[in-house]
Amino acid sequence: MRRIVTGVVLAILATAILLFYSRPLSAADTDFLIYFENSTLALKSQTIDRTVYLPLQDIVRHLGLASTDATGSLTFTIQGQNSRLVLTPGSGFISYNDQPILLQNPIRREGNQWLVPLDFLSQGLSRVAGLEFRYRPGSRRMFAGRVATTELAMNAQSLGALTRLTLRAGSPIDVELQKETAQRRAVIVLKAKAIDPARERLEYKDALIQSVAFDDADGMPRLVIAIADDVRDVRLTSSDGNRVYFVDFVREIATEAGPTTAVASAPPPAASRPNPNVTASSGVRVIVIDAGHGGIEPGAANGSTLEKDLTLALARRLRSAVQSRLSSTVVLTRDSDVAMTSEERVAVANNNQAGLLISLHTGFSPDKMAAGSSIYIMKPDFTGGVPEPAGGRLFLPWYMAYRLNAPASKAMAEHLQRNLTQATPGSKFPIRHGPIGVLASATMPAIAIEVGNLNNEESVKTLTDPEFQTKFTTSIAAAIEQFATGGRK
Amino acid sequence: MAASRLPRHLRIGLIVLTVGSAIALGLFVDVIGRVQEMVREKDPETSNPFTPAAAPLYEQNDPPMPVKLFFPSVKEDVVLSSEEQTIFRSAGLTNRARQILQKLLDGPKTPTLYPSVPKDTKLQEVFVDDTGMAYVDFSSTISANHPGGMLSEQATVYSIVNSLVYNLPEIRQVKILVGGAEKETLAGHCLLLPLAMDLSITDVAPREQVNNAD
Repeated sequence: MRRIVTGVVLAILATAILLFYSRPLSAADTDFLIYFENSTLALKSQTIDRTVYLPLQDIVRHLGLASTDATGSLTFTIQGQNSRLVLTPGSGFISYNDQPILLQNPIRREGNQWLVPLDFLSQGLSRVAGLEFRYRPGSRRMFAGRVATTELAMNAQSLGALTRLTLRAGSPIDVELQKETAQRRAVIVLKAKAIDPARERLEYKDALIQSVAFDDADGMPRLVIAIADDVRDVRLTSSDGNRVYFVDFVREIATEAGPTTAVASAPPPAASRPNPNVTASSGVRVIVIDAGHGGIEPGAANGSTLEKDLTLALARRLRSAVQSRLSSTVVLTRDSDVAMTSEERVAVANNNQAGLLISLHTGFSPDKMAAGSSIYIMKPDFTGGVPEPAGGRLFLPWYMAYRLNAPASKAMAEHLQRNLTQATPGSKFPIRHGPIGVLASATMPAIAIEVGNLNNEESVKTLTDPEFQTKFTTSIAAAIEQFATGGRK
Repeated sequence: MAASRLPRHLRIGLIVLTVGSAIALGLFVDVIGRVQEMVREKDPETSNPFTPAAAPLYEQNDPPMPVKLFFPSVKEDVVLSSEEQTIFRSAGLTNRARQILQKLLDGPKTPTLYPSVPKDTKLQEVFVDDTGMAYVDFSSTISANHPGGMLSEQATVYSIVNSLVYNLPEIRQVKILVGGAEKETLAGHCLLLPLAMDLSITDVAPREQVNNAD
């Protein structure tokens, strides 16, 4: 009996000791970088009480500042040109030229090592060193003084046979793609000194991409993308004077891509099979097709015929019709039955740097006999001549983005009207203006098409007829081709 | 010790009893806490004393005021046509706005016009600010029961905006709220930002510029 009790007590003690000692081990060290104007300092950070601490002596030594570590009086003094900073362990108060400054977290001293929280750098050290420290919460790096940083934003999207990762840099950068197919990953080396990513990792995962993470722990900024077994090819294309890069992860090898390790100038990505009759589109590289409504938002309905299903069927047909005519990449805002806000739909077009956005809808009129079809472009100044502030506007609200491309949108609408009235004799496609959500914040020519009247049985029959759907989408594709090749240069 | 001489089954019984009474005590303490909480919650806050009494929208001796209400039309080239109706010229601007919107919800009298707002939609609140922006709050059925269609949604939105701005020159813009909150679009098409009157989709000519005739 006694032996069992002793055994249990000993086991509990052993577990407690194990837990106690394993805690600091797991909490310690990930590398932290400070980018200076001419150098980079890599540090071993420590996380104590959910606060990131940096070793002070390493930073002071790197900056070449004079310091005294007074063991007897338990203070650490940093000497600037005309200033002095005194630190006391266990206290959040630091003294700058005898004036107290309160930090959010206390200074720590562990053995001979002085540990400082991140706000010490911006609140205290910046005054003695004459440097400004910038930090993005949650990141593992700081930028000091006049170091030129390049902001980096990324997003990913599935385009069916390929997944596209879009990188957008604040200033032109060079990148190099390294395919490490054996390790099932691709590495994009970013050849810029101090990259400031908006996010450390992309919360995105699909059949082709497992994860996307930014890594500059060794001072060499790069993106590491874990890829699935299905990925046969990775292609890199630059755009906008090397500010924007498209990284396409393709399920099967396209014919033109060779087995290169660093593709700096790959041909523009095309989602379609090469078609001998394809006309190259000069102005429009990406075309975004929006299937209206979706998910819990069915749109107009007639019995079991729902607008969301019709628009998706039309969008898919239009995609193949466009791909058989143009070499442009065609992106659908949704390729399944999901709900999206107007803002999310436009974001797909804006993020893909699309040259044209077409939103597909079906009509519904209280009047059973009404034709219903219309072509919509954005109504200019729908809020009614709000006076411009004195000195002009610094920023435009997003919903005014359509203004830039209003003439091009109108040209596209006219191409469409001509083609659609020719293809479907007897029906009219008047061009209307309205405050349409999916058009307002588009930074490219954007139009919406409303076809048929779901309140009319005949119209429902026509809209669900595959022959009509093909005819309808073919004539839209013809209008897109006219627009892409001649309408706008 | 006396306890060690106790038979084994009694000792086990004693332990079970101790544990049981400890749990019971815990529960009892919690019961007291709960009773206290209930007493605390019983503060007299059951009815809001600030709910205003329903005020009439007009007085019996208010003069009549002819208004043009905009409804979806069967005509091919216009979205909205107008219908003449009469409201009371009550003193408050919001009261006049409420009367117009109520007539709009009641639907058109002309057989060639269609109702613009889904059935069962209620007008919840109207407020006009200093800049001439009218905030109009409808029950959420205006979105949920909307039959859809870009053109018919445009008709719903502009029948509200035009009817208010055309008849009440003090109002310059209309912001539609749904169920007391802002919404991106009414039913997936039309933005519900502050909107100005649009007579280009109607068969009504702009009013002559009689500045503040009312």
